[in-house]
Amino acid sequence: MAILQSERLFGLACLLVIMAAVAYYIKSSEGGKAPKVRRVAGIDAIDEAIGRAVEMGRPIICSHGIADLRAATTGPQTLAGLSVLSYVTKKAIASNARVIVPVRQHEVWPIAADIVETEYKLAGRADEYDSDDIRFLSSDQFGFSSSYMGLLMRENPGANIMIGAYWAESLQLAETGNSVGAFQITGTAQTSQIPFFLVTSDYCLIGEEIYSAGAYLTKDAPLIGSLAGQDIGRMIAVVLSVLGTLAYTVGINTLLDLFGM
Amino acid sequence: MSNVLRRIEIPLLITAFCTLLQVIPYYLNIPVIDSASATMRDWMLLVVNMAVFVGVISLGQVHGKRIQRRGENWPYSAVLIVFMVFMAIVGFPLEGFGLGFANAQYLFMFNNILNPLGGTMYSILAFFITSAAYRAFRARNWDAAFVLVSGTIVMMSNAPLFTSSLPFLVTWKNWIFDVPNAATGRGVMIGAALGAVALAVRTLMGIERGYLRGGGED
Repeated sequence: MAILQSERLFGLACLLVIMAAVAYYIKSSEGGKAPKVRRVAGIDAIDEAIGRAVEMGRPIICSHGIADLRAATTGPQTLAGLSVLSYVTKKAIASNARVIVPVRQHEVWPIAADIVETEYKLAGRADEYDSDDIRFLSSDQFGFSSSYMGLLMRENPGANIMIGAYWAESLQLAETGNSVGAFQITGTAQTSQIPFFLVTSDYCLIGEEIYSAGAYLTKDAPLIGSLAGQDIGRMIAVVLSVLGTLAYTVGINTLLDLFGM
Repeated sequence: MSNVLRRIEIPLLITAFCTLLQVIPYYLNIPVIDSASATMRDWMLLVVNMAVFVGVISLGQVHGKRIQRRGENWPYSAVLIVFMVFMAIVGFPLEGFGLGFANAQYLFMFNNILNPLGGTMYSILAFFITSAAYRAFRARNWDAAFVLVSGTIVMMSNAPLFTSSLPFLVTWKNWIFDVPNAATGRGVMIGAALGAVALAVRTLMGIERGYLRGGGED
């Protein structure tokens, strides 16, 4: 039996090249020289959202989506949402704002609680941490949705930040947030939900922008460098798309064979 | 010893090890790693199932305190606690005692309360879509006009009232779905996949720490 799975070899090669490019840019940025990254209005607006909530004397609701950490496509979105939660909590503590975190997945609850608690400890205000604000609502999709909507109506937040994986409940949550007048920043890589977020939010992060949010917010040079490494992947994707389209049009299936499709 | 166990490198190493153990079997046929990967997935299921109690404890804490303090809307919290305990008891997997998923009370609650409530929540989505569409479908600029026109075509093509007399609407709708919609969706998906790869590299290299312990500054 061959060790290498031949039909996945080309995909592996592409993955390794992209990973190597990302790692290279991270290493080359370690001296503190970060590459220039375009402004992402939605991420820049997070500070504005926190400031608005503080001015209004209202809490901030920060959700990391409804997915668990296990799925290949949605798990990273939850991680991205948790990175944003870390930043939002840090800023909220500095501004004396209250952060409420609605949770659907029970295995994510301890991580979200740990992030918030640690931020309070780092700020030297561990006694102000309230575990009741990290709320497990329901593991049922629409049970979670109805509880979240109720939370929005009762708490009347100044800002509602939702970054992670969402499904059918996305519109219910964002529309309710809109109706209570919350400043809304949303983001997901679920293509079917992006239109709903675009329509109902003040700012919406689209696809890969949510993964870059954690790096972008820290302004740490190696993290920003990793974003430049993605461009190599983007170039590979564009070249393969053009080549694949041309080859398939003239009846050459080499690329499809290489990808085992 | 406790200081060693609290070091940030430990969760980072565990994360990197577990990630590689799941990725490698996708590309390589190495029976030992396949077996270890499968075992780790079983462990993961155990951990996840144990975490169910975390959710129950969190719910109990939040709503228990509210009942104790007679906080705002506390009767709803009491209803939640009563039903949660009742469902946990009748759904407990002890078939010999008549409990579990086949229990008549459990099935009654599931089929006549939980399912209809879930269906109701899903169905009110239609009203949210209507109010969102009302705001979105305004031709304020060229982009919004394209959304308005394509949205109108898609909606009309799903109504027999229009397709019976204007059958070409279905062809137009299919073109919208298969060409601009699919192309945009794939672009977003490729970008998201690249973002996830970069996130994975940052996590494996231990520099993406936002998800643990306040960025791992301690």
